[in-house]
Amino acid sequence: MAESKTPLLDELETGKWPSFVKEMKQAAEKNPMARDLLDQLELSYKDKIGHWKHGGIVGVKGYGSGVIGRYSDRPDLFPNVQAFHTLRVNHPTGWFYKTDALRNLCDVWDKHGSGLTNMHGSTGDAILLGTRTEHLQSCFDDLSDAGFDLGGSGSALRTPSACVGPGRCEWACIDSLDVCYNITMSYQDKIHRPMFPYKFKIKVAACSNDCVASIARSDLSIIGTWKGDIQIDQNEVLAYAPTIDIQKEVCDLCPTRCMEWNGKELKIYNEDCNRCMHCINLMPKALRPGKEKGATILIGGKAPILQGALLSWVIVPFMKLEPPYTELKDLIERIQDWWDENAKSRERLGELIKRLGMRVFLRAVGLPAVPQMVKAPRTNPYVFFWPEEIKKEVK
Amino acid sequence: MSENLKKHIVELFHEKSKGDKKMFYIRDVTKWLPDEDRHAIQDAVKELLDEEVLKYWSSGSSTYLILAEFFPKEEPCS
Repeated sequence: MAESKTPLLDELETGKWPSFVKEMKQAAEKNPMARDLLDQLELSYKDKIGHWKHGGIVGVKGYGSGVIGRYSDRPDLFPNVQAFHTLRVNHPTGWFYKTDALRNLCDVWDKHGSGLTNMHGSTGDAILLGTRTEHLQSCFDDLSDAGFDLGGSGSALRTPSACVGPGRCEWACIDSLDVCYNITMSYQDKIHRPMFPYKFKIKVAACSNDCVASIARSDLSIIGTWKGDIQIDQNEVLAYAPTIDIQKEVCDLCPTRCMEWNGKELKIYNEDCNRCMHCINLMPKALRPGKEKGATILIGGKAPILQGALLSWVIVPFMKLEPPYTELKDLIERIQDWWDENAKSRERLGELIKRLGMRVFLRAVGLPAVPQMVKAPRTNPYVFFWPEEIKKEVK
Repeated sequence: MSENLKKHIVELFHEKSKGDKKMFYIRDVTKWLPDEDRHAIQDAVKELLDEEVLKYWSSGSSTYLILAEFFPKEEPCS
């Protein structure tokens, strides 16, 4: 048996889970870029260092984002990956593809690139991995003909993303798909022409289960919620009783302890509910979100680079979200304008708020301080108020 | 769009690019012109990008601006 050229990578195929190495080997059978990619990766494992040079070209006429330049630092050994640029393609909202759309996307990529994809990147885009510089424009043209556009990269508004929302989920409190699509179409210039201090991410979750993890991964999180009482069907609650320990699994795990169960009837003190949806998740036939639906707007979430990770912080406890979403878009523009004016280069919105203070932010964007803005329980809410306001209250 | 502003921005890019540093953030450009409206500067830069006097240089996470003449030349693929 012939000796493998990639013994170190072969190790990665022996584990329990599907391996990207296996997929790359399959692609390598028909694409020399994928072959050289495998060999370069093997060298990286051997040398214990990456062999990529990042950055540079943005490639497509009129666009400043959507292409990430990548070059091999060993083109002498791996000429087919000398240029191996990534394209970020704006995914369909909620990641709903028709099969013909997926086929078209793959056909374009087989024609112009390595055939390797990452479906999807953490921002949500369909990531097409590896094409040469001379293919960038023609690949973009073919993608456009197939109905696709590039997504955001660099110091731009990144491709907004949303959960599947009302398309497939009975708990959706807002039409996350429509909100996301509307935002995407409204801010094309901000996505394609980077002019921000750094990246800015918007994610839309239709309920507080937050399936897109908007609270942890976006500078501006839009999370569906409701006002008023949780809808209860007591007969259905009783029907759950033989299969769920309602006291232990529902009431005792309620974070605000706002529920009582006497074996016959479930009582909810809605004024204490923080709409986490734990009870609704456990008893979906018995409990439903309240009837008046809208969204909570949160701000400042981000992953660790450059400072530590931050979770988003409530700035608007409840906003009605109806097309054309004027109130939301006005707020987004005020926020981005303040951030654009005040942030240092490569400073995310959450970091800027941390540096200058939430009360400075609230005053700048014209939002009132309200109790729901307390970042964590048992912290002092008065940090939001200006000295003159406290004096006024004391009088 | 003020042609004077565009001209001024290009002059500043040439001046600031005399050293080793050739790439700048948009934030750097707005700092060079503290008395100008930030949005006007951004619009002028966008026009200069359209005219290919300036070019974007992106690391993937951050975007820089660079005079087209200093944009790194790519070695031809073998």
